[in-house]
Amino acid sequence: MKVKRLLDKLKAILSAERQAQLAKYSSLKKVLKALRVEKARLKKELAESQDENERQEIATRLKVISVQRKKGLTVLKELKKEKRG
Amino acid sequence: MLRKILLPTIFLILGYGFWHSAEFKTVTAGVAIFLFGMLSLEEGFKTFTGGTLEKILKASTNSIWKSLTFGVVTTSIMQSSSLVSVITISFLSAGLLELASAIGIIFGANLGTTTGAWLVAGFGLKVNLSTYAMPMLVFGIILVFQQAKNLKGAGYVLAGLGFLFLGIHYMKEGFDSVSQTIDLAEYAMTGYPGVFVFAGIGILATVVMQSSHATLVLILAALAAQQVSYENALALAIGSNVGTTITAIIGALGSGVEGKRLAVAHLIFNLTTGLIAILGIYQLIAVVSWISAHLGIAADNYTLQLAVFHTVFNLIGIFVMLPLLNQLVIFLRKLMPEQQREVEQPIYLNSASMGMADVAVEAVRKESVRLYDLAVEVITDGLSIQRDVFQSGVKVKSVIKKSSDVIDEDIDDLYERKLKALYGAIVEFIIHTRSGYTQGRLREELNRIRQAGQDIIEAVKGVKHLRKNLTRFMQSDNADIKREYDKLRRLVIRVLRKIETLRTQNDAGLSDSIMSLDRLKLEIEERTEKISNGLDELIRKDRIDVQMATSLMNDISYCREICWDLIEAGSVLFSKSDLDEKAAMRTIALDEHEIMDILETPERESAQ
Repeated sequence: MKVKRLLDKLKAILSAERQAQLAKYSSLKKVLKALRVEKARLKKELAESQDENERQEIATRLKVISVQRKKGLTVLKELKKEKRG
Repeated sequence: MLRKILLPTIFLILGYGFWHSAEFKTVTAGVAIFLFGMLSLEEGFKTFTGGTLEKILKASTNSIWKSLTFGVVTTSIMQSSSLVSVITISFLSAGLLELASAIGIIFGANLGTTTGAWLVAGFGLKVNLSTYAMPMLVFGIILVFQQAKNLKGAGYVLAGLGFLFLGIHYMKEGFDSVSQTIDLAEYAMTGYPGVFVFAGIGILATVVMQSSHATLVLILAALAAQQVSYENALALAIGSNVGTTITAIIGALGSGVEGKRLAVAHLIFNLTTGLIAILGIYQLIAVVSWISAHLGIAADNYTLQLAVFHTVFNLIGIFVMLPLLNQLVIFLRKLMPEQQREVEQPIYLNSASMGMADVAVEAVRKESVRLYDLAVEVITDGLSIQRDVFQSGVKVKSVIKKSSDVIDEDIDDLYERKLKALYGAIVEFIIHTRSGYTQGRLREELNRIRQAGQDIIEAVKGVKHLRKNLTRFMQSDNADIKREYDKLRRLVIRVLRKIETLRTQNDAGLSDSIMSLDRLKLEIEERTEKISNGLDELIRKDRIDVQMATSLMNDISYCREICWDLIEAGSVLFSKSDLDEKAAMRTIALDEHEIMDILETPERESAQ
């Protein structure tokens, strides 16, 4: 039984499909992290800004990033499920 | 005609040889196994060209000395100057390498092949290689059947080496047996006639086998069995060096003008080197004896002396040709100039790039960027935007102000001449290349680039539609309709400018990556909606008539599509991230519906 599990694990490590899936997962995670950092930066900028036009522009960009992150997190969850399965 | 009779003739000669002599059969089988090993080795190294080799090549060819070293090292490792030549041609054709650097690599590859002679002479002929070959073949073939790309590649390399060793073993065995029955050395020729005749035989043998390495091993095996005289063996080695250029020439046939220039450079180098070696053969023999004595090589060890000779004459070639490199490049450019064509043709796409996944993708991307640049020319002309003003970086408002006159160009003709054939060539290349790849992400990337090309063409077609009314209203006395159309032109310029920013960013942070294009998509929706909303008021106040309004409504829609198409194309062509990261960004990038949702969602909710 142990040998079979070991072989399954080895197969998973060597599988090209699995490698691609892992690469996809880590890239998505990286992009989402960058979006989170950008969102925090924009929030700070929004809090400091006094100019109304600038505030509006920052708010719009924040809106876009929020939706992008939401979408990305949903995909990440699905990938996580696949990864475990 | 020659081609038709060549193969049957070779078969007849071989058939006669097999029937007549068992030793001949062993030697030729050895050559065949050796060549198969070379093929397997090349196949193995090709699987690693999907990234690693390209990265090394890009980083290590920015100076002539680096290129030269790259050529020496890679050929020494891969033991195949042909593979290095083919990779170099494909890189050159894809615009990833300068001609001078490519020539440097080829010079280096010539020197690199000499390591093969050293290995075979110093090791291969003294050890029973078949002992090592067998386990290599077994392990290699097991790995070849694995699914993972790298393991498969390693399998081919291992099996390739196994076959090489086995081939050398059989050649050695064959010549050892020959020496017990007949003495081929009786046919030895002395003096310059002998040098020329045997150099010719060397050329012929290499052209037939398409591998100077195989010829050289054969020469060494024959020399070790004393079936060929030392002097004649040297002439054969010179001939094999000249004959090897045939592989480069065949490889360059399907490539662009740069590939052909490189093949001619290779031919010139090897011919010059060969000529120097032939004319100064007796002086070289003396030099080789002197060097061999200093290296501790015995005076009767002719196989190692042949390796020394091979290295020396290739080094002489490099020392003679390297100072003339710039003149050689100028000469080649004059000899084979770029063709000026009435209809745009691809410059990066050719069969040489098809064989290597990453190179093919990069070639397609570069060609599609060219398509994009040409499309921008057509689009700016179509929208009557002064290109020099647009490119000068002045504010968008000023660009419109300075582009008040209609540019009188036949856009249909421009489309036919500049874009249609080029786009067709890109699609054709992608179809042919894609069929050869099972690798998912590169296949996907090719599909995306193909879609980007389609988006570019759609954008141009949109401009063709938009231009009809635009041209009419730009000349109209009605200032209001003129202003509305200027808003549309302004929007397209904003998009083109943003894409240009994305393109010129060296180290794209998130704010300048393809993720930022979603903000632009939102802006397009906001602005086109604003223009649409303003229409009612313009009609109510009698500023424009209903016909003008319906034309404008249609053209707003065209403008919106043009902008979206350009953004989609730009996001594929100008992203600086790697393939996986690009794919991740595209997964997150917002589509039309999601952008519309943001527009319709109250501010407080979505900014959470």
